[in-house]
Amino acid sequence: MTETSTTLLATRGIAKRFGSVIALQSVDLRVKPGEIHALLGANGAGKSTLVKILSGVFPADAGSIAVNGEPAQLRRPGDSMAAGIATVFQDPALIPHLTLAQNLRISRLDEEEVRPWLDRMDLGGIDFGMLVSDVPLAMLRLLDLARALARDPQLLMLDEITAALTTDQARYVFDVMREWKSRGRSVLFISHRLGEVLEMCDYATILRNGTAVADFDLTNVGEAQLVTAMLGDELGEKAVAAPQPAELAPAPPAFEASPVVLEARNVYLRDRVNGVSFSLRKGEILGLSALEGQGQDELFQVLSGDHRPSSGELLVNNVRLNARSPYDAIRQGVVLVPADRHQALLPQRSVRENLATPLYNRISRWFSLAGDEAERVDRAVDRLDIDVRAASQVQRLSGGNQQKVTIGRWLASGFDTLLCFDPTRGIDIQTKAQIYDLLRELAHEGASIVLYTSELREIPLVCDRVLVMYNGRIVHEQAAATATEEMLLSAAHGLEEASL
Amino acid sequence: MTTTALDMLSASTPKWRRWLRHHGWTVGVWILFLVLIFWYSALIPKFGLFQVASIVNNGSPFVFLAIGQAVIVIAGGIDLGVGGMLVLANVTAARLMEGQSFEMTLLTAVAILIAAAAINGSVGWIINVSKVPDIVITLGSLFVFQGMALAVLPNPGGATSEGFRWIFTGSKVGIGSNPWPAIVMIVVPVLIMAWWMSKTRSGLSLYAMGSDRNAAYLSGIRAARTKIISYAVGGAFAAFAGLATTAIAGRGNANTVGGNLTLNAVAAIVLGGVALTGGVGTVIAVVPAGLTLFFLSPILTAMGVDPSRGQIIQGVLIVVVMMIAGLIEWRRQRTS
Repeated sequence: MTETSTTLLATRGIAKRFGSVIALQSVDLRVKPGEIHALLGANGAGKSTLVKILSGVFPADAGSIAVNGEPAQLRRPGDSMAAGIATVFQDPALIPHLTLAQNLRISRLDEEEVRPWLDRMDLGGIDFGMLVSDVPLAMLRLLDLARALARDPQLLMLDEITAALTTDQARYVFDVMREWKSRGRSVLFISHRLGEVLEMCDYATILRNGTAVADFDLTNVGEAQLVTAMLGDELGEKAVAAPQPAELAPAPPAFEASPVVLEARNVYLRDRVNGVSFSLRKGEILGLSALEGQGQDELFQVLSGDHRPSSGELLVNNVRLNARSPYDAIRQGVVLVPADRHQALLPQRSVRENLATPLYNRISRWFSLAGDEAERVDRAVDRLDIDVRAASQVQRLSGGNQQKVTIGRWLASGFDTLLCFDPTRGIDIQTKAQIYDLLRELAHEGASIVLYTSELREIPLVCDRVLVMYNGRIVHEQAAATATEEMLLSAAHGLEEASL
Repeated sequence: MTTTALDMLSASTPKWRRWLRHHGWTVGVWILFLVLIFWYSALIPKFGLFQVASIVNNGSPFVFLAIGQAVIVIAGGIDLGVGGMLVLANVTAARLMEGQSFEMTLLTAVAILIAAAAINGSVGWIINVSKVPDIVITLGSLFVFQGMALAVLPNPGGATSEGFRWIFTGSKVGIGSNPWPAIVMIVVPVLIMAWWMSKTRSGLSLYAMGSDRNAAYLSGIRAARTKIISYAVGGAFAAFAGLATTAIAGRGNANTVGGNLTLNAVAAIVLGGVALTGGVGTVIAVVPAGLTLFFLSPILTAMGVDPSRGQIIQGVLIVVVMMIAGLIEWRRQRTS
């Protein structure tokens, strides 16, 4: 075919699964020479997995890759480099305890090969004797870029390189991209900032749930169309998945009379959380929406007492919380359901024992749970609807049931405020619905909940109010019932920042 | 602007301060060691070459073993078997070298080093293939090596050539006032190792693997190969320690408890600033750390302390040094 001869990179039917999670179902991607090609998609759509397959980090389970029309086997990073592909990964691939010079030697590069590129980024004076751990993140990203450029690749892949850069630092990246294009070479560009995608890129491939669902010529496309394509039409799924919002979501004004149970006042943590303020009322479910890495992880660490804020304060029931560890937060009734279930559970112990773990704090009798407490555990088991026969070891439960146990731990011990960090990630639809029900019920009984979720459609279903976080700040707030996925995604991309 | 950020970065930390922070531990351990030497020289009535030779000679196996362990730990592993390898090399050398000429003993020594590298390299290979944690596999290899040593030489005995004893001790009988051969035997391998680990790609790969396995892989480093190299080099150094033991004692003894030697080596690398989590440390700091730990008991004897209390002091020293280092690091992170 004539078309293959003008294609630099072509993938067909790329698929990849990790355990039971399907990361990529089928991806067809074509990148032509002299093209800046954007790869877009919501969190978890499979962008980074695809980049890693094309970089030889791990192989695809199925599908084929062709470079310049020749079938390519990319088993190791070295194979990919040999095929003319160089990648700047989402996280810096530099060894922190070695100097910059030593890192270059590991990558089989000389300082002289990298220095011209650093000169172009106004980093020519950098001291290669510095330890990587002493170099600020933004500079490391540019160093990673220079290292990739020194390989003079046919295809340069940039995975979220601009996320850690300021606007004028990002300019260096754009200059390089333009130059690559003018030399008839190509760039595969991943960014959550749609503005820069529209400005810089020629084509875009949209990934959704591990499938390439659309290709756009970006000369005549607006942000709204891209956002719609990233979300897709999930109406069919929604009908199966969810309880009806009308039944569950209470009318928003009901909260104004309720007391504030948790309040954040201008909270900072290092440079990750930049002045977050909000208040949570009794019985309210407050949704938090954000793209990955916008400071939500760190905000939850502060709220759960894992980290002290660098400045600002937290108030629990109008009393300042000065937590040295999660223990202090838990004693004030603020409890966390973490993203990683394995952090919370004892996988080889029984469900009952796991449910009772937080109770150990108050056991004065050492050897057994006293009657009252055993009863609480019984009630929690009943309520969660977990099959206790299969529950002699928590690790044998399905992911969804494990997640129920992590929530159930706090049911048995009691709490005022529940912090849920992406509790439905990687969970089947039925259990998801049960978790939604459980959260709504708890709120109805007077618990307050902060729910961070990477699934935008959960927000109008479960929450009363929603905050959108971008770059460590709250950039958007609205009643959840009126929040559409488009609005949330736009806000999460920082597009509405000016209007706040 | 980035340029100003770069300028600020270079201006705020002068080069010498960065160098000191980078190498602070090495400098600190050497100072600790030299202070102890001076103190010791003031404590005892006569301090001369004989005392220096005694410390360097008898401490050298300990130093070699610690270097072997350091290489493996820096690459992200840990080898409980090095002590067993020392004993195995010690008895094998003593048995094979008995009655041989100087040339033959040298040849035997080289053969033992190569065999040790091959054997311990295959331990690294087994860890890689089986995915069983290093500490479990090498607990096994410790027992295997110790058992093999007993099979090679059931009762203490064997011998080596006078020339071979001189190489490690500066004396044909293993005791004397000439520390220089032993100093050369320590300095030369250490400098070679330090060069290899800080300048060459294969040596730097050890740090990369121990520091950030994922980033190392993305830089094109082969994980399996690097692990095997670290275990092979570590095994060779353990065998080198065994050869030194043969030269010093003039015989082999399979009843030496390899596990104790391993733990001493771990203590030495910890004091030498090697992080047990991998990726941090240098063999240059392991040398004074090893000698310091070895050197504590003669100091305590000179001070009139019951030798059995020496272990308590050794333990406390390690913990206190680590706490001070932790405190310095904590303060540095708070100020930056």
